[in-house]
Amino acid sequence: MLKSFLSGVAFVALATPALAQELPQASSPWFTAAQETIAARLANQPITGRAKNVILFTADGNGVGTNYAIRLFSGQQAGGLGDEYVQPQETFPNVALVKTYSSNGQTPDSAPTAMAMNTGIKGKNGMINIQDTVAEKDCVAGLDAGVKTFAEIVSEMGKSVGVISTARITHATPAAVYARTASRDWEDNTGIPEGCAQKDIADQLIEQMKAGVIDLALGGGRAHFLPETVTDVEGKAGKRTDGRDLTEEAKAMGAQVVFADTDFAALTKGDNAPVLGLFEASHMKYEADRTGEPSLAEMTAAAIETLSANEEGFYLSIEAGRVDHANHDGNAYRVLTDGKAFADAIAKAVEMTNAEDTLIIVTADHEHAISFNGYCGRGSNILGLCMKEDGAGTAHSGEPNLAADGKPYTVIGYLNGAGSVLVEQADKTYAGSRPDLTEEQATDIDYLQQALIPMSSETHSGEDVAVYARGPWAHLFGGTIEQNVIFHVMRHAVTAE
Amino acid sequence: MNRRQALGLLPLFALLPCLARADAPVRMRDLYNKDLGFSNLALANEGQRIAVSGFMAPPLKAESVFFVLTKKPMAVCPFCEPGTPWPDDLLAIYAKRVIEVAPFNVPIVVEGVLELGDYVDPEFGFYSKVRITDASYSRV
Repeated sequence: MLKSFLSGVAFVALATPALAQELPQASSPWFTAAQETIAARLANQPITGRAKNVILFTADGNGVGTNYAIRLFSGQQAGGLGDEYVQPQETFPNVALVKTYSSNGQTPDSAPTAMAMNTGIKGKNGMINIQDTVAEKDCVAGLDAGVKTFAEIVSEMGKSVGVISTARITHATPAAVYARTASRDWEDNTGIPEGCAQKDIADQLIEQMKAGVIDLALGGGRAHFLPETVTDVEGKAGKRTDGRDLTEEAKAMGAQVVFADTDFAALTKGDNAPVLGLFEASHMKYEADRTGEPSLAEMTAAAIETLSANEEGFYLSIEAGRVDHANHDGNAYRVLTDGKAFADAIAKAVEMTNAEDTLIIVTADHEHAISFNGYCGRGSNILGLCMKEDGAGTAHSGEPNLAADGKPYTVIGYLNGAGSVLVEQADKTYAGSRPDLTEEQATDIDYLQQALIPMSSETHSGEDVAVYARGPWAHLFGGTIEQNVIFHVMRHAVTAE
Repeated sequence: MNRRQALGLLPLFALLPCLARADAPVRMRDLYNKDLGFSNLALANEGQRIAVSGFMAPPLKAESVFFVLTKKPMAVCPFCEPGTPWPDDLLAIYAKRVIEVAPFNVPIVVEGVLELGDYVDPEFGFYSKVRITDASYSRV
């Protein structure tokens, strides 16, 4: 009995912070930093007021793995080893894992994932805001199976709505904010099948502007708004064959329409006129190649400034659309530079808003077939070779790890894609071996990380993504959730009594 | 240069060790500035024979002398590019022989005469700002 009594005393004593100081590791910076984390968690209080504003950040294709790579890249760019770096969304108090599969896809594309977040239900691959009782591209059935969007719900509450993407503004993720379509590819009238009464996605954006649902749209995709007989400010022809110039129609309704960083900088903000910015014929440029276009952070700042003029608040969907494209290319450099631009936009939104009235959600729509090799010492360039650990120190030894073939390998690899080490032979079979590789080659901005399965484009994967949140009702995020729950948190936040 | 002159030069180039010049092949991004204007290197080499590294995009037509060189393998993303717009910073290649198609993800080096300025291909309607003509290529 005495023995068990003494054991009980010891248990209670160890659980108290005061005696924790007596631990030999108590003065370690790891220990004290962790205690600060616990203190911050204890101090964190749920915010239960009604959300005036909701900002939904999505980096397309930025799953947990891709986000990890962006963290290391950003940290190394800042002069650190990388692992210790904290991205803006990683300071948010509430996090959950998100299951991204669609109604019919173990691996989703960006159409049903964006639909899940904007309407509260999952849909089929390839379709946007059409119920999953309809077959993809069934135009007639799709016309009667559309669902109501979060943008339409909050617009009826008097809020303004903005949508931003570095991809075409008619691309799947931004389109889910304002459109309903049986095919994500129907971005202009040329994609609509003969006899199909559905309006194309670009047309629907302008319709939603006319209806007062969409107040601001910034992104690429100019060609889908212009007739094929018209060349844009960069000399590229439009795609529309119906003769309509939707940019002129937008101007006619009183919208400010801009095409480059210069006229974007001259926008009049907060005058309640719709804003349409189309900065490229197709997707906006990767951050690494950007010229003549605003950055995602600049677009975010302009949107918040513009939409904040509405005292009823706003919903703003912001997509870093090309993290996904660079992953499809198998080119980690542009994945990470666009990922850092995404983080910069989040930081700008955090700076410009108040957690007491603005719910900020940061997530991804899906992950990619990106993967990570080991065992790399700390500070191994996330774009470069996986270096050996230094048993006597912290940073890596500077000596590359070698695979069984005697060759070094990069930290990042892809399971499939254009970087495959198997290449087509003259007899159409695939064979090959891993090329030798230097750190200089691996860190070149155009380098494609080695992949296994040969494919013309690297694929999405179905693994979980994370969601980070701060602000009113952000604490509803936790555990492992279905992707469509994100809509329900947003809806609860803007309607809570 | 007419066809006879071109053919006349062929034996001379055939004698040269392919791409074994003192200078390493230039990269495509060395020919363009970020705003897609011509770089100083491009301007300095206009009309000269140069070697450029890159990748052969899947040709528009079989049995052709024309193909497009891209700086990265021309990955065709089913969800990114319906209609597959070409990248802005491509290089149009006019070979002196019907080309043997290389896989899109195998690095190659193209050697030929650098031409600058707008050009629309009469057969394909393909617009280019920079071309390599009288070209040959080899796998790296």
